[in-house]
Amino acid sequence: MPGIDACLHEIMALPGARGAAIVDWTSGLALGTAGESPNGDHETTATETAELARAAAEYPAFARDAERARPPAEPTAGEAKGPPVEDLIVTTRTGYHVLRFVETTFDSSVFLHLWLDRDTGNLALARLRLQQLAERLVLA
Amino acid sequence: MKATTATSPDSRVSPMLVRLADERATGALLRDHGTLYLSEGRVVHAESPTAPGIDTLLTTGGRLPRDGWQRAVDEAGARREVGRFLVDSGRIGGGELEICHLGALYDAAFFALAPGSGPTRFRYGVAHWIGPVRPVSAAAVERETRRRRELLDQVWPYPAVDTAPVTPRPPAPGQSLTRRQRALLELADGVRTPAAIAWALGRPAFHTLLEVRRLAAAGLVDTPPEPPPDARPARPVLPAWIGEITADPDIALLRRLRDALEASL
Repeated sequence: MPGIDACLHEIMALPGARGAAIVDWTSGLALGTAGESPNGDHETTATETAELARAAAEYPAFARDAERARPPAEPTAGEAKGPPVEDLIVTTRTGYHVLRFVETTFDSSVFLHLWLDRDTGNLALARLRLQQLAERLVLA
Repeated sequence: MKATTATSPDSRVSPMLVRLADERATGALLRDHGTLYLSEGRVVHAESPTAPGIDTLLTTGGRLPRDGWQRAVDEAGARREVGRFLVDSGRIGGGELEICHLGALYDAAFFALAPGSGPTRFRYGVAHWIGPVRPVSAAAVERETRRRRELLDQVWPYPAVDTAPVTPRPPAPGQSLTRRQRALLELADGVRTPAAIAWALGRPAFHTLLEVRRLAAAGLVDTPPEPPPDARPARPVLPAWIGEITADPDIALLRRLRDALEASL
């Protein structure tokens, strides 16, 4: 049951990790940050990545897809809350940005952001690790 | 818009908060619209009658049963460690508590630091029963509060929608609502204000204000006419929680009294 800082610490332990943050996508607030920021300013980066995450979480194109994939017989209580998108990956010339949504059982809008070096980072590993950490972050 | 906010005197959210942070003060900063709790100059908690508290955020969505929360307050409230007790007793994850608590803190601080909200007082030595969770710097709270004000105005510069009852308008052809917007509008009965909807949803009040401004900008919610500047109520009535705070014994004063009594015996 790690807190925000322990979670960020583990993200930064990934090979090629340059920076990480936990961001609220409704307000654009960075709840915690570690390492570098591509803008040189974690707050600015948080507001920018939050806009991207909000678009992904809210555009019907992605939401409908997730709703169709779910068997209609099981409208489980947990699924009615969390965003339908699991993660977002943005590839730049020098790096990857992975945005992983965190599902909480209370009403929230939070994601993890990892900035990964393209040469030294391992995208597949980072995706899996972010998924585990997003789950552990909210585990009692 | 950016230029005026940067140079206006309002850009300092609270000079008193800055001063208290500089002197590493511990206590409660009381304003008309809420309270900020400081520990050694850092903000450890905030409360506002407008913003749903961490108890509402955690219990409304069903994360914690109401009696589970109450037991934590009963057992750890007196020693001001409710936050730690919730985590140690396995009721909630450490990360989840921090996420929820920070959300409640910045939300209440936004309303507590609202401009023109009357006199500011500071009571030294007062601590909140939630206990330390994840203290943030006063500068971060100031910066975020200022950013949130600007964000609301960037989205839809009509503050009247913040306090008026939310009145939905039918979507235009091709316009669709997100799931979170639907949940919000289902509670818009023409009576509830954005803050009342936030309480009913167990969602931070600022998030609901922002969503309502976005909905108003999209024409999905009515924008009431702005009241002329002189028609606004000059001073809001004192909220009820002021009575509760002042009923709280001043620990420092009680200690001095006890010391004086002991010395005279």
